[in-house]
Amino acid sequence: MKNISSASKILSILVFVSMLAALGAVFLYAPMEKEMGETQRIFYFHVPAAVSAFICFFLVFLGSVQYLRTRQTHWDRLALCSAELGVVFGLIVLITGPLWAKPIWGVYWRWEPRLTSMLITFTIYVAYLMVRTHGTRSGQAPRLAAVLGIVAFANVPLVYYSVDLWAAEQQLHPPRNVGLQPEMRYTLWICFAAYSLLLVQLLLRRLDLARIEEAVERLRQKRDELADY
Amino acid sequence: MNFWQRTLAILHKDLMAEWRTKERLSPMAFFSLLVLLVFNFSFELGGAALHEIGPGVLWSSFVFASLLGLSRSFADERENHSLDALLMAPGDRSAIYLGKMLGNLLFLLAVELICLPFFTLFFNLSPGWFLVPLLGVFFLGSACLSAAGTLFAAMSSNMRLRELLLPLLMLPMILPALISCVEATGLVLDHEWGESLYPHLKMLAVYAIVFIALSLMLFEYAVEE
Repeated sequence: MKNISSASKILSILVFVSMLAALGAVFLYAPMEKEMGETQRIFYFHVPAAVSAFICFFLVFLGSVQYLRTRQTHWDRLALCSAELGVVFGLIVLITGPLWAKPIWGVYWRWEPRLTSMLITFTIYVAYLMVRTHGTRSGQAPRLAAVLGIVAFANVPLVYYSVDLWAAEQQLHPPRNVGLQPEMRYTLWICFAAYSLLLVQLLLRRLDLARIEEAVERLRQKRDELADY
Repeated sequence: MNFWQRTLAILHKDLMAEWRTKERLSPMAFFSLLVLLVFNFSFELGGAALHEIGPGVLWSSFVFASLLGLSRSFADERENHSLDALLMAPGDRSAIYLGKMLGNLLFLLAVELICLPFFTLFFNLSPGWFLVPLLGVFFLGSACLSAAGTLFAAMSSNMRLRELLLPLLMLPMILPALISCVEATGLVLDHEWGESLYPHLKMLAVYAIVFIALSLMLFEYAVEE
C-alpha cells in the first residue's frame, strides 16, 4: 500500500507541475491569435478536454466488453470510473465551448454539428450513470451497465454522422486539421500532456475509491448477515 | 426448432396475446393522437408552420407511443413470470429479442397507419403519391425505434424504477435515428424524394442494422438472471 501511495504522490506532483507549465505556455508562450485574440486561448483547454472525454468513453467500452468476457469486477470498476470522468471532461468541453462562442459567434449556443453531437454523447453517458446509480440491484448492475457501455460507444459514430447530415450547412466549428503555428502546436502538446496526466491520476484515485467502496459494502453485508443470527 | 421458427413462435405469441387483450395497440394509438392534439395547442399548427414542425410533431408522437408499447413488451412477461420459461427454453436467446422486436415493429407500424389519416386531416394535407415514400420512411424509422427500444425494454424490465429509466435510456440513444426520420419525413412532405432523401434513408438503414446486430449479440447478457 505504501508503494502505491508514494507513486500516487509522485504522479500528483507531476500533474501539478504539468498544469502549471500548461498555464504558463497558454498565457505567456503561445502567441496571440490574429482574428480571435485572447479568446482563442480557451482552445488549449477545450481540445484536450474533448480528447480526454473520448478516451474515457473508449475505456467504458473496453471495460464493458472485458467485463462481459471475463466477469471480473475490476473491468466493471474501470467502466464506471471512466464514465464518471468522461462526463466531467465532457462538461468541461460543453462549458469552455460556449465561453469561446459568445465573443466569436455573438451567442453562447448554436445548434451546430460539433456542439450538438457532443451534447448528445454527453446525455448518453449521463443516462448510463443514472442507470448505474438508480436503476439496478447490486448483483446485476455490472452486467446491464456493460451492455449499455457497449451500445453507447457504438452509438457515438452514428450520432456524429446523423448530426452532420442534419446540419451540414451550419458547420461553424473551427476545423480539426487547422494549420497551427509551431508555438501554438507546442502549447497544445503541453496541454495534452497535462490533461493526460490528470486523466490517469483521477482515474487511479477513483479506482482506489471504488475498491474501498466495494470493501465497505462487503463488510456491511457481512455485518447484516451476522446480525441475522 | 431452428432460430427462425423460434423467432416466429415468439412473434405469433405476442400478436395473439395482443389480438385477445388489445391492451397495447389502442392505448398507443390514442396516446399518439393525444400528443398530436397537445402539440397543436402548444404551437398553433395547421398554418404556415406545418412544414417547419409537422414532421417533428409526428415523430414525437410516434416516439412517445412507442415508449408506452415497449414498456409493456417485457412487463407482462415479468409480471406473469413467463420470461423465466422463455429463457429456460433451449436454443439461442436472441430469437426472443428478434421475435419481440418484430412484434414491436408491427405494433408501431399499426399505430402510425392509424395516425396518418388524422395527421393529414388535422394538418390539411391532400392525399397523394407522397404517401408511398412516406410509408418507406415510417418503416425504416420504426425499425430503428423498435430495434433499440426492444433491447432497452428488456434491460429496464429488470431494473428498479423501470418506467422512469426506459425513456432516460432510450431517448438519447435514438436521437441519431430521430434526426433522420424527421428530416426524411420533411423532405417527403415537400415532394423532394431524390438525391437529398437518400442519405437519410441510408442513415436509418445503417442505424437499424447496427442496433439489431448489437442487440442479437448482447440480448443474452441483458436478460440473464
